[in-house]
Amino acid sequence: MLTALAPELALFALAVLVLLIGSLRRTGRGPAGWLTLAGLVATFALTFAVPEGTSLLNGSFVQDGLSLFATRLFLGSAALSVLASMTLRQAAFSRRSAEYHFAVIVSVLGMSVLASARELILLFVGFELMSIPLFLLTGFLKRDAVAPEAALKFFLVGTASSAVIVYGMSFVYGVTGSTSLAGIPAAMAEGHPLMMLGMAFLLAGLGFKIAAFPFHMWAPDTYQAASTPFVAWLSVAPKAAGFVAIIRLFVEGVGAAALIWMPAVAVLAGMTMVTGNLMAIPQQNIKRLLAYSGIAHIGYMLVGLAALSSSGVAMMLFYLVAYTFGNMGAFLVVQAVAQSEQSEGIDAYRGLAQRSPLLALAMLIFLLSLGGIPFVAGFWAKLYVFWAAIERGMYGLVFLGAIVTVVALYYYLLVARRMYIEAPERPEPVPVPGLLGAAIAVCVIGVVGMGLYPAPWVTLAMRVASTLFS
Amino acid sequence: MGLQAYLILAAVVFCIGLFGVITRRNTIGILLGIELMLNSVNINLVAFARYSGDVTGMVFTVFTICITVTEAALGLAIVILLFRVRRTVTADHLDLLKG
Repeated sequence: MLTALAPELALFALAVLVLLIGSLRRTGRGPAGWLTLAGLVATFALTFAVPEGTSLLNGSFVQDGLSLFATRLFLGSAALSVLASMTLRQAAFSRRSAEYHFAVIVSVLGMSVLASARELILLFVGFELMSIPLFLLTGFLKRDAVAPEAALKFFLVGTASSAVIVYGMSFVYGVTGSTSLAGIPAAMAEGHPLMMLGMAFLLAGLGFKIAAFPFHMWAPDTYQAASTPFVAWLSVAPKAAGFVAIIRLFVEGVGAAALIWMPAVAVLAGMTMVTGNLMAIPQQNIKRLLAYSGIAHIGYMLVGLAALSSSGVAMMLFYLVAYTFGNMGAFLVVQAVAQSEQSEGIDAYRGLAQRSPLLALAMLIFLLSLGGIPFVAGFWAKLYVFWAAIERGMYGLVFLGAIVTVVALYYYLLVARRMYIEAPERPEPVPVPGLLGAAIAVCVIGVVGMGLYPAPWVTLAMRVASTLFS
Repeated sequence: MGLQAYLILAAVVFCIGLFGVITRRNTIGILLGIELMLNSVNINLVAFARYSGDVTGMVFTVFTICITVTEAALGLAIVILLFRVRRTVTADHLDLLKG
């Protein structure tokens, strides 16, 4: 039993330890940050020791392929974010370093519990354990003019969506008579109206969490105001957690009965892709641009989900990994440029290729991956997701997706044009702190590696998804 | 009274809360709306638990109450923080972030 719970227990111990260190004496950012990083990496390694397919507490907590896959994604992305956040200059990050890292670890713990939950109460508690530290981290720079505003907006949307989710859960509990997710498939097949109402509420609430249209408005504001290394993580890990929750509630074990949700998810996917991409075009702030592009990517992932097939879900998981590397990488480059130029405008990228060729090349690779150009990760991700949708005969959705992908290339290449064609305003190179550079390098390796050799990732995702449909 | 009556009561409370969240201009008012939404969940859960003779719903309610309290505490803390920095808690004035 303890081996199955090992990653969660390790994270809990790490959280307590980091908080203790912070309370001992004002040690600066060093010990807490490095301890967190080491702990996250160690927990990542620990997940490989967990026997896959264990089920605890009468089946309410499982460590199956999906939960381990998701947990590794959460831990890996959190480690990258922590690595990059050690280069933040604001005094608050070193003065309250233990608090910052404590909140990150607790949030990862919540995500990891959420990914393993096969029971409504545990799912809800996991969700809140994940979300509450995120609100806190968004408003971490509490003397800042905009951070508290972003935290409040994020908080209000987040808690209202939690209320919608738990309201939906109350109906699911009422109809199935138990809080176990195992009762959902039978009740869904029966088509009880209260059950359908409950599931519709759940879909809407989870739509908020993953920032799907029309519940996406919190994302750009939050991304703009919060610290960039944190946003890099915020833009991937909680979204992945939301998708895992959707898979657990709507897909796992449901089989053919899940197909009644296909039109709803397909419409959500189409609208999210279109809104995200169109809203990104006029953005002058790179973080807002990436926020809207992130919304569009959620739309592409929903296309894979809408297929509601084993290959669709597998390709969505593959997309999540590709998106994690590409999007985190792009945000980390933004951090490097913003720190040196004191600007998050896209004009700050003028002539970056002449000033810092390597940094510009990294950004170009990330943008191309997000845009879906061949031989980087994002290309395979988009191709596979659309392929899964075509297998289900959703030609219209795929056609729409292909069109907005071209729109997306336009605004990604606008940034690339500034970097490569326009002349720089200042000649000196952009300084990249070593740790931030290391985090960017990991993302580049991930994006290029997945692009040149996607097979192992595809096999892994297919294996994880196939268990959900048996 | 049947189960239906409680479900309708919960739905009414939920809608009042949602209406408050959407229409209120004062952030404290929005917080109150969210609290109402979360409390309607408790009515639902307790009603379902009572009519099916199963205690799990009550246990769920205890969890929701705890989490609601945590959220209220954090929400009010953020509002106070915002008031210190910006001297306002009206949603219309919180417009530094847009686009």
